[in-house]
Amino acid sequence: MNLERGTVSTRTMEIAVALLIMGLGAVVMYDNWRIGARWGEYGPQAGYFPFYIGVMIFAASTIVFLQAVFSRKPRQPFAEPAQLKSIMSLVVPTIIYIGVVYAIGIYIASAIYLAYFMRVLGRYPWRTIAPIAICVPAVLFMLFEIWFLVPLPKGPVEDFFGY
Amino acid sequence: MIEAVDALFHGFNVALTWQNMLFMLVGIVLGVLIGVLPGLGGANGVAILLPLTFSMSPTSAIIMLSCIYWGALFGGAITSVLFNIPGEPWSVATTFDGYPMAQKGQAGEALTAAFTSSFFGTLIAVIVLTFLAPLVAAFALKFGPAEFFAVQLLTFCSFVGMSREGPFKVIASMMIGFALAAVGLDTVTGQLRMTFGINEIIRGFDFLVAVIGLFGIGEILLTMEEGFTLKGTSAKINPRVVLQTWAKLPKYWVTAVRGTLVGCWMGITPGGATPASFMSYGLAKRFSKDGAKFGTGQLEGVVAPETAAHAAGTSALLPMLTLGIPGSPTAAVLLGGLLIWGLQPGPLLSSSC
Repeated sequence: MNLERGTVSTRTMEIAVALLIMGLGAVVMYDNWRIGARWGEYGPQAGYFPFYIGVMIFAASTIVFLQAVFSRKPRQPFAEPAQLKSIMSLVVPTIIYIGVVYAIGIYIASAIYLAYFMRVLGRYPWRTIAPIAICVPAVLFMLFEIWFLVPLPKGPVEDFFGY
Repeated sequence: MIEAVDALFHGFNVALTWQNMLFMLVGIVLGVLIGVLPGLGGANGVAILLPLTFSMSPTSAIIMLSCIYWGALFGGAITSVLFNIPGEPWSVATTFDGYPMAQKGQAGEALTAAFTSSFFGTLIAVIVLTFLAPLVAAFALKFGPAEFFAVQLLTFCSFVGMSREGPFKVIASMMIGFALAAVGLDTVTGQLRMTFGINEIIRGFDFLVAVIGLFGIGEILLTMEEGFTLKGTSAKINPRVVLQTWAKLPKYWVTAVRGTLVGCWMGITPGGATPASFMSYGLAKRFSKDGAKFGTGQLEGVVAPETAAHAAGTSALLPMLTLGIPGSPTAAVLLGGLLIWGLQPGPLLSSSC
């Protein structure tokens, strides 16, 4: 099957994810071997059970990897360029948002994030955006900081108001 | 037998005063709210609302805490059906058919099926709780690590069997789950596993964080891939839809009874509500004549996990009350609440009151 240029096939993705999970399995095995994965004086050591979990992750993903490499099934599209682009338009701002949360606190960052998405993706007029972008973080602030007393990351603006 | 009935009616007598009914209403509303908010699980919710009950009489406090518990059990189903985001671990299996139903515009029917099944599962479990408590307490005492392992292994094997993807993908995913759960402080040796010097994960990953991340974000990305139309899953629920769904439900009585049995069994043993809902779904898929259509929005696929989850959630109180072993995290917090009120759950509870 001929696919459009720039299209990622399912097989490529399966190989990539299998490699990633093989790496994860290796990390799990490595760290648990480090803290001891054998039978100690008083029974199994701390890494005993997780080490074998790591072995199973590695083995299972290796089989998935081999199945994908030697697969004779026709190539299936995983995502087309347009689809990848629209996913990136969500993923990239979200990654920036997570970084910004640590700098200026979750409430201000959420207000900006909400406003950005409503404007760029939703194309709402500013008079709809402003109340929502301000009220939702404000309500969340009341809910978590004041009623449920759950501390979330805060920045200079919250400091200014004494929280 | 007669004593049990007597005790049950005495209980109703106490519970059905208007103040206690009011506390029930408040408790259920708060519980549903907690269940719907994905970040606040039943356990957290009961813990947060525990101080509210300090100003009440012990009976009212216990009634309200139980209602919060049941409200949270059900609240998880609402977000599962409407947004494909399970509010609670035990509503994960409800998403399999509940969300496809909502996509087909049958959200009202899915929700009706969910709450009716919950009611059925809970009711049967309460009856079981009342009559079987003494017998089961004796049996459950014999449950040891080997039996727990067997129950869990059966659950995980049924995951592999139920999946549409290849078995090795399922095994790899399940093992990643185990690895994530192993992160943090080892409670036996006090050693740190896989924290790589990051202090935030010493206590490990919270289950809810993983669920919201994997289900919620995955769902959002899928929506983005298919265009920006957030699939309108507004539920128009009105008495007509409810009645129509009720008319269809008796057809699935076998599924409901099986779900309840699985739930009671898993709750008592105590496997918990989550494996119960998965097992019931798997069994329903295997034995139903529409089994192949499961996952595309079958009413039966909502009935099966919901009856089981609620029967399990209710009967999880049985080992808690008779043995002092909570069957679920929420039951553990509830246990804490009962202790504050001077009840001493355990084999002596029934003899001391």
